[in-house]
Amino acid sequence: MIKHIIKFEWIALLRDQWILILVILFFSITLFAVRNGHEKVADRVSAIAHEREEVATQDAQTIAEIDSVERQLKALPSESWLDPRSLENIAWQSPRVVAMDPVPLALVSTGQSDVFTHYVKPKIYGEAYTLGFSELSNPVQLLFGSFDLAFVCIYLLPLLVLAFCYNLLSSEKESGALRLIYAQPISLYPWLLNRLLFRFFVLSAIAIISITVSLLIYQVDIASNLGSFLKLLSLLLLYLLFWFMVAFVVNLRGKSSGHNAVTLVALWLTVVLLIPSVISQLATNLYPVPSRIGMIHEYRVATTEARERADEILENYYRDHPELAPKDTTQENRYTWMLTYFTSSDVVNESIRPILNEYDAALARQQAWVDQLRFLSPATLLQHGLNDIAGTSTAHYVDFRKQVIAFASEWKDYFKERMFANELMKAEEVASLPQHQYSAGDITTSYEGDLGGLLVFLLVASASSWLLYRQANLAKVLITN
Amino acid sequence: MILSIARKELKEIVREGRFRVTAGVVLALLLAAVFISNQYYQSVNAQHAQAKENARSEWVNQGEKNPHSAAHYGTYAFKPKYPLSLIDSGIDKYAGISIFLEAHKRSEAQYAAAQDQTALSRFGDLTPDFVLIFIMPLLIILIGFNAITRERESGTLRLLRGQGVPAWKLALGKWLGIFIPVLLIVLPVYILSALFLANVNDYGEFSLGALSLLFLVYILYYAVFTNLTLMVSSLVRKSNIAFVILLGIWIVSCLAMPKISTALADTLYPYPTQVEFEEQIAQDKEQGLDGHNPWSAEANKLEADTLEKYGVDSVQQLPFNWDGFLMQEGEKHAADIYFKHYQFLKETFHNQTGVYRATAALSPFLPTRFLSMAISRTDYTAHWDFADAAEKYRIELVGKMNGHMMDNSQTGDWYYTVGKEVWESVPEFDYEPPTYAAVLNNNSSNLLTLLGWVLLSSVGLYGAIQRLKV
Repeated sequence: MIKHIIKFEWIALLRDQWILILVILFFSITLFAVRNGHEKVADRVSAIAHEREEVATQDAQTIAEIDSVERQLKALPSESWLDPRSLENIAWQSPRVVAMDPVPLALVSTGQSDVFTHYVKPKIYGEAYTLGFSELSNPVQLLFGSFDLAFVCIYLLPLLVLAFCYNLLSSEKESGALRLIYAQPISLYPWLLNRLLFRFFVLSAIAIISITVSLLIYQVDIASNLGSFLKLLSLLLLYLLFWFMVAFVVNLRGKSSGHNAVTLVALWLTVVLLIPSVISQLATNLYPVPSRIGMIHEYRVATTEARERADEILENYYRDHPELAPKDTTQENRYTWMLTYFTSSDVVNESIRPILNEYDAALARQQAWVDQLRFLSPATLLQHGLNDIAGTSTAHYVDFRKQVIAFASEWKDYFKERMFANELMKAEEVASLPQHQYSAGDITTSYEGDLGGLLVFLLVASASSWLLYRQANLAKVLITN
Repeated sequence: MILSIARKELKEIVREGRFRVTAGVVLALLLAAVFISNQYYQSVNAQHAQAKENARSEWVNQGEKNPHSAAHYGTYAFKPKYPLSLIDSGIDKYAGISIFLEAHKRSEAQYAAAQDQTALSRFGDLTPDFVLIFIMPLLIILIGFNAITRERESGTLRLLRGQGVPAWKLALGKWLGIFIPVLLIVLPVYILSALFLANVNDYGEFSLGALSLLFLVYILYYAVFTNLTLMVSSLVRKSNIAFVILLGIWIVSCLAMPKISTALADTLYPYPTQVEFEEQIAQDKEQGLDGHNPWSAEANKLEADTLEKYGVDSVQQLPFNWDGFLMQEGEKHAADIYFKHYQFLKETFHNQTGVYRATAALSPFLPTRFLSMAISRTDYTAHWDFADAAEKYRIELVGKMNGHMMDNSQTGDWYYTVGKEVWESVPEFDYEPPTYAAVLNNNSSNLLTLLGWVLLSSVGLYGAIQRLKV
């Protein structure tokens, strides 16, 4: 019997020209979305690559200049700070690129990638934690958001499910076929469920094929990133199945096609637009982000005080670190200005560290709290999951920021140590300057949580369909109505 | 006749559970949004006032130092919140709220709220504009998709036509039947926001005219959707199909088009990255005069020219502090470079705006969105205007500091310091936003497009009604 139903469904679907239109439409939409994601990622990759090339060129030039001074092919510049071997020059003019390379599936979801920058060049002067990390962009674009695969999956795909299933039962009823079916030796629930699942498989196949083909067209290496790709598919399929079950529940209520359509759209609106916006608004109001402006004010006050004591601080510093004090007192350290700066900024950093730590902790708490709110809607869960897969979640950018700050201090320490020793750069040392290697390894992914959340939503929808069926003695209602 | 149709339509709509529930929900959402936004605003405004005060007190109490060092120490300019951002917060959370003003360097506005929020906030907030611009059109579709198809399906259309009711009267009656409930939902929101805005001093100068204009824009937008809804309902035979088509129109114009035009704008006129932008500026700066580098070729040339102009042999003989003069000339040069590069950025922004304006012909959402933000002073143009004013203030501030050094100290005397009275002599940053006339002038194309939508959809409705088949 089930075989029979499926065969009939299949024929009915094939004859329906809507399906063909839907397939073509969905494929074009997916392709367009992947194209947009690809363009963003390609821009990001080329900007980073360009920056790395610039650094390599700069390094080659530095090596050549140092070399010609070392071999005395070129006279030393009149001013000592113009000396190409000066550590200060190299620290200032040859900053390293600290970049966040995109993950292979980055084009899936724009996430926060349009808000934050993906590479910075922390300088020796200034503090990395005061860097904005914001990307230059038209805020209207941020407001409108991207037409990416995540948008297609979260917003549009459920609508396709609804269009596919809103009249699954009501059309049978309206055409009178339901009475005939009920005369067959099959109970309504499995009959309807089988048809629904069949449609789920068809739509899933369309979605999976469209996504896979689009990704392949844009040269995403699915085979070597099978893990992430399967995660993407599993989240997407659960989300789709959830919507199918919602459509099922609405159908089981036995109302007319028009009524079903309106109800389903209202549910879609609630899950995809309303709940997320309410959550976001609640988060902003109930648990506001700590004021960064307030923090910057405290930072400036502390900085001013410390700067005023800069010279005194350097003296104390030498008293505390006699090993760093100039050995030959007749020879002045050429980096005195930088050293004064370093030591005074050490004091500044020390005095504002509590402010920064407190701020970062408050922000982390707030974000963790808001992150929990994603469990209130399948749409927010899917968004979270997709951002995670694309490496564009808030956690990824927070982690990148930490990596930048860590590298900036490594860079600074390297020069600080050598400046205290009043050294000059040698040509062969340029290649061994500290380098940054991006790694997304420390970020805890939330795949299981997101998947689990979606599963709960699915179970709730499925359970309510069963309960509804049991409670209402639907067959009677449908036939007699 | 028209009125009795409208009355019948209204009665039917109000009696129907579907309308009561959805309209109730929408109204509740709108009122909640206004209420929450109001609360949020109070706290943001308090923070803003505090920040402004802090910035001034930092500046005034920075202690004794050289005027040029003070220019390096700098200060902050804070972007004010405007009363109507209660209704439409526009790009506010994506644009920085403060600009650091210091010597030699123009900074971007920093600390956009979106940066410290999680990706969840990208779904949008429950603000009044969200309900007014996204949800209300859906409500119109929900009320009206079967306004005519229903009559046709039940056979009453035949009866009505048989009684000699002209099609246009029928349409107008139906139109009012849809539109009046929408007005009844929007009106309390308008009154409530007017009350909030008029009674709270923190909102700055509030203009009832602007608020009314804002709501007028929304009313025009709803008229377009009412026209489209009735048009589809009269062209299509079945209610279900009318609903699906209207939903499709809503998805395309409210969800898809803004994103599609963004993709288009981004592809055609991409922004440089932050690092690229900074490096281009740095390159230009290197080639020119640097106030902190008196040994550069540019500085030598300026020195020779200045000495000749004053007929003296050395900079010490000049009637002013040469260092201060050099700093100021370097500053002017840097300001020119910044102007050039920001002008390029602005051009890119204008080009992108052009793309949005062109695509607005395909979506009534776009002109409404841009007009709403513009009237609320929360659009990107308002942000640029603020940023330009802050830059002007920065140039004046630094110029004043260098000028003070030039006129009051000796060349080479870097130990010259001044104190509070000089810092206090610098006026506070006082920003006046552009007038509404300028705002509307800048948005005339959006206004025209929206009116075009009203006109075309009315013509379309008229045509559809003329060909109404029973």
